[in-house]
Amino acid sequence: MKSLTCLSSNSSSSSSSSSTSSSSNSGPMATKRPSLKAHNRIKQIFRSATNGGQTTNGDMTTSVNGNHSAKNGAYNKDHDYDQSLINRKLPKELLLRIFSYLDVITLCRCAQVSKSWNVLALDGSNWQSVDLFDFQTEIEGRVVENLSKRCGGFLRRLSLRGCKCITDAALKTFAQNCNNIEALNLFDCKQITDATCVQLSHYCHELLRLNLGSCIEITDLSLIALSVGCVNLEHLNISYCDKITKNGIEKLAMGCHNLSAFISKMCTNVNDEAIGYLSQNCKLLRTVNLHGCHQITDEAIQNLASNCLNLRYLCVSNCTNLTDQSLISLGQQCHQLVTLEVSGCNQLTDNGFQRLARNCHSLEKLDLEECILITDNSLSHLANGCPLLQNLSLSHCELITDEGIRHIGTSSGSSEHLQVLELDNCPLITDSSLDHLISCYNLRRIELYDCQLITKSGIRRLRYHLPNLKVHAYFAPATPPPSITPRTRYCRCCIIL
Amino acid sequence: MPNIKLQSSDGEIFEVDVEVARMSNTLRTMLDDLGIEEDDGEPIPVQNVNSAILRKVIQWATYHKNDPPTPEDDDAREKRTDDISSWDADFLKVDQGTLFEIILAANYLDIKGLLDVTCKTVANMIRGKTPEEIRKTFNIKNDFTPQEEEQIRRENEWCEEK
Repeated sequence: MKSLTCLSSNSSSSSSSSSTSSSSNSGPMATKRPSLKAHNRIKQIFRSATNGGQTTNGDMTTSVNGNHSAKNGAYNKDHDYDQSLINRKLPKELLLRIFSYLDVITLCRCAQVSKSWNVLALDGSNWQSVDLFDFQTEIEGRVVENLSKRCGGFLRRLSLRGCKCITDAALKTFAQNCNNIEALNLFDCKQITDATCVQLSHYCHELLRLNLGSCIEITDLSLIALSVGCVNLEHLNISYCDKITKNGIEKLAMGCHNLSAFISKMCTNVNDEAIGYLSQNCKLLRTVNLHGCHQITDEAIQNLASNCLNLRYLCVSNCTNLTDQSLISLGQQCHQLVTLEVSGCNQLTDNGFQRLARNCHSLEKLDLEECILITDNSLSHLANGCPLLQNLSLSHCELITDEGIRHIGTSSGSSEHLQVLELDNCPLITDSSLDHLISCYNLRRIELYDCQLITKSGIRRLRYHLPNLKVHAYFAPATPPPSITPRTRYCRCCIIL
Repeated sequence: MPNIKLQSSDGEIFEVDVEVARMSNTLRTMLDDLGIEEDDGEPIPVQNVNSAILRKVIQWATYHKNDPPTPEDDDAREKRTDDISSWDADFLKVDQGTLFEIILAANYLDIKGLLDVTCKTVANMIRGKTPEEIRKTFNIKNDFTPQEEEQIRRENEWCEEK
C-alpha cells in the first residue's frame, strides 16, 4: 500500500494542466504547419487523445491515461464491474482532485466506503497539509498519533493551533513518523514541554517554520535542541514563552543562520544581549517582533539595525526604554523597513521620527499609539519622507493638531496610498482635520473615538467625499431628560397583603 | 469578434466566439500553434465531447469569458468549496452522469475554472455524509468483508471523536 500511495501522489502532482501544454511543444506536433494542413493535424491530435493510453506518440495523454496504467491491479479489476457512475466515468486523478477539497473527517469517511475509495482517500497527496484548528480543545493525543501514522512522510504542514490537550507523547509519535514536516504550528498547545523540541530536533530536519507561541512550559532547552537538529529554521515564534532567556537565544542564533523571522512577544527575559546574538548571527532577519520585551534598550535596536540590513518588519511596542537613538539607527541602516510598530514607546520624539523619515522611504505601516511626545512636526517629516504610508496609528498622541493631519492628508502619496488612519483620543483635532483628508480616496477606515471636537456634520462632509469610508466614532446621546413622573415604588409584600 | 466552428463527437457543429474557445487551454494552444485566428471553413473536431456536453461547456465559457484568470494551483492555498457562485450552482444542477461528463470535458479541454467548480460540487456532495450515505449517493458497492470493514472503521474512528 505504501508504494502505491507514493506512486499516485507523484502522478497526481503532474495533473491535467500539464498534459495539454506538453502536447503542443513535444514530439512531431511541435512543428508549425501552414493552416491548410491544420485540420488534419488537429484531427490527429484529438484522435490520439481519444485513443488514450494505447497510442504511442500521444504525449498529450500521459496524464489521464498514464494513470490508468499506473493503477494497481485490484482497482483495475474492480473498475470493469463497477456499477458506480463516478468510479466508472472519472479516472483516478480526477477523483483525487475532488478529494483534494475534502477535510480530514470526510477523508476518513471516504476511506470506509469501498476498497478503491480507501486507496484514494489514503493517497498521500491528500495528507500534505492538515489543520486541526477546527477540533481545537477536544482533540486528543491519539488523533495526532493516528494522523501521523497515516500521513507519514507526506505531511508537510500541520497546524495544531489551540489543541490544548496535546502532549509531548503525541508529538513524539508525530516527529518519528513525519520527518518531512516543514511547517508546524503548536500555538497554545500549553502542555508541551522541551521534550517535544528535542524530538523535533532529532527527527525533523526539514523544519522551516515553527510556532511555539503560548507554549508556556518551553525553556532554553528547546532552543538549544532546535539549534542542533533544525538548522534550516526560517521562522520561529516563541511569543509568551516567558522562560526563555538569552542563553537559549544565543544557541539558536549560532545554529540557525537562516532565520528570517523571529517573534518573541512578551518574552520578558529577552534582553539586549539576546538580540545581540541574533543580530550578529542571523543577518537574513526580515521580521522581528519584540512586543513587550521591556528589558531591551537602544543597544539592541542599534545592533539589529547595523547587522540586519534586510529588516522589513519591526515591532518594539511597549519597549519603553527605547529613545530616539533607536529611530536614528533604523533610519541610518534599515532603508527597506516597511512596517514599524512603536506603540507605547513614550520617550520617542519628533527628532527621532525626523531622522527615520529622512531615509526610510518604503514605510507603509506605522503604529505610533501613545507616543505621547510627538507633535505635528513628526507628521510633517513623515508626510514628506514616507509617501507610501498606508496605515498610520496616532491613537493617544495628544499633541497632534489639525496642522499635522493637514501634512498627512495633503502629502504627495496620501491620496493614492493612505488606507487607515487612527486618530482616537487625539483631543485637539477638529473637523478641519477631516476636511484635509477628502482627497485620500483610498482611505478605508478612520478611528475618531473620543475626539471631543469632531462633530457629526464634519464626518458627514468627509463621507460625502469618501462614501466607502468606515468611520468609527461615538457620540454620547444627549443627557436624557429627567423622567417626568418618577416611578412610584411599591413594596411588593405590602400589595399582596 | 471572429467566430470559429467546433464539432462535437456526434457531429454537431457549434459556432463560438474565438475568445470563448480560447478559455480552453487545449484549444488555445492548438489555435496558437496552428496560427488559426478565425473561421476558415472547416470545423475543429472535439472528438471526446458529445454535443450535449459541449453545449454546456460553451454555455459556461460564454458566461465566464470576462472572468479574471484563475490562479495556478498552490498547495498551501486554502481549499474552499463554499465559494460557488449562484449562477454556477444553478448551471450544475444536472444529473450525476452529466456532471461527470462535464468534469471530463473540462479536464480534457483544460478549462481550470470549470474543472474547479465541478470538482467542488462533487466534493460538496460527499461532505457531511456517513460512509453508507456516500455509497448510496454514488451507488458504490461495499466490497469490504465484514472483518475488513470493522478494521477500517476502527482505523478511522479517531476522526469522529471531536
